[in-house]
Parts: sequence; structure tokens; C-alpha cells
Amino acid sequence: MNIRSQVSMVFHLDKCIGCHTCSIACKNIWTDRKGADYMWWNNVETKPGTGYPTKWEDQEQYQGGWEKNGDQPIRIKSTGKARVIPNIFHNPHMPSMDDYYEPWTYDYQNLFNAEEGSDQPIAKPISMITGEDIEVESGPNWDDDLGGSQIYASNDPNLEGLSDQQRLQLSSVERLVMFYLPRICNHCLNPCCVASCPSGALYKRGEDGIVLIDQKKCRAWRSCVAACPYKKTYFNWFTGKSEKCILCFPRLETGQAPACFHSCVGRIRYLGVLLYDADRLEEVANLPDEELVEGQRSLILNPHDPEIIRKAQSAGIPDGVIESAQQSPVYKFVMEWKIALPPHIEYRTLPMLFYVPPMSPVMANFEEGLASHTMKNLFHGIDESRIPMQYFANLFGGGHEGVVRYAMGKQLAVRWHRRAETVGDVDRATADRFLREADCSLEEAEAIYKLTSLCTFEDRFVIPPMHREEAIEMIKEPGEQKAETGFGFVGGPRRGL
Amino acid sequence: MGNLLKSLGAVILTPSEPANQRVLALYSPLSKSEKSPLGADSWQFSQRDCFFSLREHLALRRNLLTFFVIAASLLLSGGASVQEALGQDTPDYFQQNCMSCHTIGGGRLTGPDLKDLSKRQDREWFVNFLMNPKAVIDSGDSYAKKILEESRNIPMPTPPGITRERAENLLDLIEAESQLEESRFRGLQISTAPFTDEDRANGRNIFRGTQRLEAGGASCISCHSMHGLGALGGGRLGPDLTNVYERLKGRAAISAWLMAPGTATMQPIFKSHPLTSEEVNSLAAYFESTTAERPATSSTGQVAFLLSGLIGAVLGVFFLDAIWNRRFHSVRRSLVKANTSRGKS
Repeated sequence: MNIRSQVSMVFHLDKCIGCHTCSIACKNIWTDRKGADYMWWNNVETKPGTGYPTKWEDQEQYQGGWEKNGDQPIRIKSTGKARVIPNIFHNPHMPSMDDYYEPWTYDYQNLFNAEEGSDQPIAKPISMITGEDIEVESGPNWDDDLGGSQIYASNDPNLEGLSDQQRLQLSSVERLVMFYLPRICNHCLNPCCVASCPSGALYKRGEDGIVLIDQKKCRAWRSCVAACPYKKTYFNWFTGKSEKCILCFPRLETGQAPACFHSCVGRIRYLGVLLYDADRLEEVANLPDEELVEGQRSLILNPHDPEIIRKAQSAGIPDGVIESAQQSPVYKFVMEWKIALPPHIEYRTLPMLFYVPPMSPVMANFEEGLASHTMKNLFHGIDESRIPMQYFANLFGGGHEGVVRYAMGKQLAVRWHRRAETVGDVDRATADRFLREADCSLEEAEAIYKLTSLCTFEDRFVIPPMHREEAIEMIKEPGEQKAETGFGFVGGPRRGL
Repeated sequence: MGNLLKSLGAVILTPSEPANQRVLALYSPLSKSEKSPLGADSWQFSQRDCFFSLREHLALRRNLLTFFVIAASLLLSGGASVQEALGQDTPDYFQQNCMSCHTIGGGRLTGPDLKDLSKRQDREWFVNFLMNPKAVIDSGDSYAKKILEESRNIPMPTPPGITRERAENLLDLIEAESQLEESRFRGLQISTAPFTDEDRANGRNIFRGTQRLEAGGASCISCHSMHGLGALGGGRLGPDLTNVYERLKGRAAISAWLMAPGTATMQPIFKSHPLTSEEVNSLAAYFESTTAERPATSSTGQVAFLLSGLIGAVLGVFFLDAIWNRRFHSVRRSLVKANTSRGKS
């Protein structure tokens, strides 16, 4: 057993209101630079929709992630020993600028400097790449709130396996439905971007599992851009280096939640440490599709188990990290309650960002033209959900409904329970029946309710001590290093390219 | 040739950097620092297969490049044959370096018959000549001039790796062999049977490479051109061989040359892949049959070469365009297009 710690995340989609505050917080801190202007390390997508970059989930198109053929061990879908040669001058599976969107600003000066005329002067859109006038054709959330759904939502790759009737219902006026999917780098356990880099510029930090790109080693191969199935590495066209979400590690190291977590209005984001067994990674990444979700859970170790604690200590994991793993909200969502699921586990990168799938809107019953909320069908069953279970299965279950059904059922049961507790128009027996059917005890339901609805800052973000002072001891004498860490730069920043 | 192979092998087999350095190089300074408060060797383990192999593949490409550069330079300098000559015994040396032009008691080929050499000049003269034929010829020595004329003005090349000791040994060998009734260096026993049509056809096939040489040597067309090879002609490294039969003055000399080619380019190739006597006979028959023809004019060949190159380049551009024509294809745009065209119809 090879125990490591991983800073992991849960996004509670039922609480996301799609306000994009997270995206803006990230943009302002990290990507408000020339060349990074089109990047959204954090973005929020409307589902059903094609997302950013367009149709990123379509791996026939982008060849992201790992692929498994029969009994062969998994291999990178986009590149490899021999396959790099024919594509050495051009990787055909890369998203084009148009699939992200061409970043633009407005010619504000014209508002002040325009010559006098009979019309109001306008600020024309100009490209941030070429500086020329452009016709804005798309943006990072162009299909926000189902905008252009005939083009975008109807081409969502997650609609695969849905019947024609189900597809039709998704876009019919009475049943129209959408939810939001905020996305950052998943800081995967088996990151395809790291594996594909010919320069060895990408790496996964030992102490917290954050995946980073060494800007001094990156040689612009862009293999990571093609290999990442979530399209969460981006190529900076100005510096000629690839960049990605760094999980705000400078903030984490100083005990603050990442900017997107910190700023989240709906408080949907949870962050905590998980302990996992690195020795079994390869075995789990090679499991058949339907066993992947369970397989990934089996990697994650119980931080309360004295045996695990002892082994973690001998593996060099600091006590503070083990302690925060025990309080980790992520462990509760993923392992204790099993209501948070990894996105597209079938890409086999073993993402460490988990989503609590959203409940569809409460449906009103129409009786004689009037909407009425009756107790009989207060919360519809998960099978009458506006979003078909198959859609969630494609997104969170690797195509298989079982785990999604379990997570949704439990959430539903918690709603019945709380209704019985607070409003009282549902009798206790009904609520208990729902809880039983959902494999959920009363205490568990209360705990889910508390961490979902009444969570404080400290409940949501259990940030482990990063112990950077120990990390530096691996390569330098602490005495020599004294003047170099903390403030200032280890290597001087270079100007320009 | 053995040395040559050995040195090339070394280039291929020796990794460009020691393995442990290679592994170390994988850790960036940053990743090293992040490596592990956890004790273990950080992270890259499960990537090893894929991305190590990518790196190794790049390293192999570098090695292959080195291979070709070294191979080319060794072949051009003939360095390998010089190396090898130093460690050879005298009869082998004679066999490999002298026999393409000389016999002992077999009559003259390109160079004179060496039987009873000692009766023609004093020993010191021969030693000097062997050490540096060109210098002796240039010094205006009358006997050297006479030999040169008899040899159709082809000067004797300096024997590879010659030393004073080697020259003495060679002269001793020639002396001893001259005493014998029948020297083993009497040269090739060339069949005097007239060439048949079959010989000529075989020779033609061998020249063009449609029939492989038994010992696996390169076929003539790789480096030589010839009458009637079509628009592109043959290789341009060696001379045109249309009239070689006449140029070398007949069957004996051409056969001897083919048995052991003497030039710096051909010798290393054919030393380890010698032609059989049937092959030699067939080629001689072929060369005899083309003597009357005009050599392939180089200018038509060059024009054809240029033209075919241009056409090939144009075809190549179309080919690349065909296989890569979706390279700047945008996913989003095609969605929009499909939708708007559906709306119209």
C-alpha cells in the first residue's frame, strides 16, 4: 500500500445558480493576461449544451483521455510512440480557436474620439488576438441558459442513448429543463495530460496531488491540450506555453480556499483532503466501464481506520493532513453518503472533482388549468425527472445508471425527510419509507441536510496544512534556502516570451 | 567493415545518456521540491509507460540521425578499410587491395603483371613507389611514366594503410609467389566461352537490381547509370558504365575489377559482399553488349529528374491537403452550418 493525499473537491450541482462568479474570480486572478485571454480555467456550462470548448465531451472528435481495447492495458487515445510521427507538424485533434471562441474587447476610445455625426458613436468589438474588427460569433458560455439550443443543446454528447421522445421532451416548452455544470481541472489521479507530455513539463505534486505545468519545461507540443478529455489545459498563444488551473495553490498554501471556491455565491463547492492507495491506480484505471465508479471509491481510504492512519504516518503524511482528511467534507459526500460522482469516469483519468447530481425542478400538477402542490406527488420520483436518468448516467456514471440512481434517490429521501420535519404536511411514515428505500439513516439524512444547507466556511473548506517548508527540504538545505522562499522568487521572473 | 559495423552498433546501442540521469531529468526542479514529504518517489509512476516511451522515441530519433551521419562520413573517408588494413597479414592485404588491377603471372589487367617484379627496377624504387605512387609519378620518373601510359593513364592509388614495413612485406610476397609455377594470385580464371544471350539478360537484371546479388551487395544501378535505363537513368555517384567494357579494355580487366573493386567507394561495399564468378561473367556480357551504345546523356536525365521532382512535389501537396484537409476544421462552425442548412431546406 502506497498512501498519498489528494486535495479533492465536490460541486453540489443542486445549489448552482449559474451566476459565473467563480469564473470571474478565476479570470481576475489568473487569466487576465495577453495570450490567456481566451482561457477559462473555471467555466460554467449549461447542460444540456455543448460546453466550452464546443463539444468537449465528444472524444471521437477530440481523442481525449485513455482508451481501452479488450484486454490491452489502457493507452492514451490522442498520441503515442508511433502515432506522434504522422502528426508531428500538426495535431488534428486539437480544438480550434473557434471552438473556444476568439477573445474580443470593444473599441471604447471611439466613444470619445469619434467625429461629430448624426448617429451615436458605438464601441465596435475588436479581436484581442489580431486587434481587428470582428464579428462576434461565439463566446465561452455562448449556449448559456439554453441559448441557441437547436444548435448546441441538441448536439450534447450526453444525449447518447436517449430515445427520440426523450430528446424531444427535453426541449419541449412545458418540460424545458437545464442545469449548470461548473468545471475546473479535476486534478485527476491518472492524468492523461501528464502522461502525454513529451517534455515532461506536467507533474502531479506529491503532497496534495495538484497537477501543474512547469512553465520553464513546456515546449509547446500541446499534447496535453489534445490528451485532456476535459479540455482543461490551454495553450497560451503569446508565451508559447500551456497553462491550466493550479487550484490556486498559493492560496491553499496560505490556508485560503481557491478563488472560485471562496467566491461561490451558491456555496456549492466543498474542498478537502482524501487519502488514497497509489499502488492500485493502474489496476483501477483498467477496470471495465461499469466498475469504474466503485473502483475509484475503492482507492480512497478511510482516514478513521487506525491501520490506515499508521500506514499513512509511515508513508510520511503529516498528522495535520490526516486530521483534515478525517474532517474532509469530500470524504463524506463521496465515501460515506456516496452521493457525489466523478464526471465522465469512462475517460479513465480518475478525476478527483465530484459532482452531486442536481434534482430537476419541482413539478407542479395541473388540475383544471390551475397549478396545485399536492402531497401525493410533492416531489416526483426520480424516474419522472425532467432530465432522463440516462443523461445523468452518461455524465456521472460512465453510461451506467446504478450509482446515479442511488445518489438521486438519497437526495430525494432527504427532501421528504426535511419536509416532514419542517412543514409537517408529509407524515413521518412516508418520509421514513423514502429514507429506507434510499439506504439512508435518519442521522445520515440530517448530516446531508446540514452539510448541504447550513454549511459554514469551515465546514466546506477543510484545507490541509501544505507543509511547504518540508517540501523544500527535499532538494535544498533549509539554511541555504532561507533567503529564497517566502517572499520573492526562487528563479527570477523573465520578461517576454 | 567489421569495425565499421561495430562503431555503428555502438552508436545505436549506447543510450545517449545514462539511465539514471534520464530518470532524474524527468523531475523538474519544482516537481523535485514537491517530490515527497510522502517519502515515495513522487508521482510519475503510472505515466512511465507512455511518456517515457515518447521521450525514448525522441532519443531514438536522435540516435538514428547520428547513425546516418557517422555512416556517411565513415563510408566517404574509407576510414574503416584503413583501420582494418593495419591488422591484416600480407596475402590478405594483397588479395583485397592489389588484385583488382594486378595479377602475379596472370597477365596485365589495369596495372601490369607483377611476376618477376624485382627484375624491372631496384627494390628501393618499388618501396618508394608503393609508399606514394603519385609522388613518384609527379617527380617525372621515366619508368613510372611508362607504367602510367601502359595503364591508360590511370595512376595507381596509394594502397590504404601502407607503411614501409608493409611495402617490404608485399615485395617479399611478390618475389616468393613469382618463384612458384602457378601463383595463387594468378588472377581470375576467366572463362573464354563466348557470351550468350542468357548471360547478357542476367547481367542486365543484376545491373538493374531486379535480380539480387547472391552475397547481398548493392546493385549497380544504385550508383551507376547506363544506356537504356529510361528517363530517370541510374545513380549518379559513380560514372556511366555504358562504355566501360571498352574503357577497361576487355573482359579480363573488367572481370578482375568486379571481383575486387578498388575504389574507396566500392571497396568497402563489396569487400564483405563479393560477386560470384557467374555474376561477374553476366555483368561482363552485359557491359560488352552496350559498348556500341551512346551513354545516357546526363542533361536529359537531369531534366527528367527535375520534372518528376516538381510533379512529385505538387502531388505531395495535394496528398497532404487531402489527408489533412480537416486540420483547421472547427467543431462549432459545422454545428452551426448543419443547423442553418436544415432550417433552409
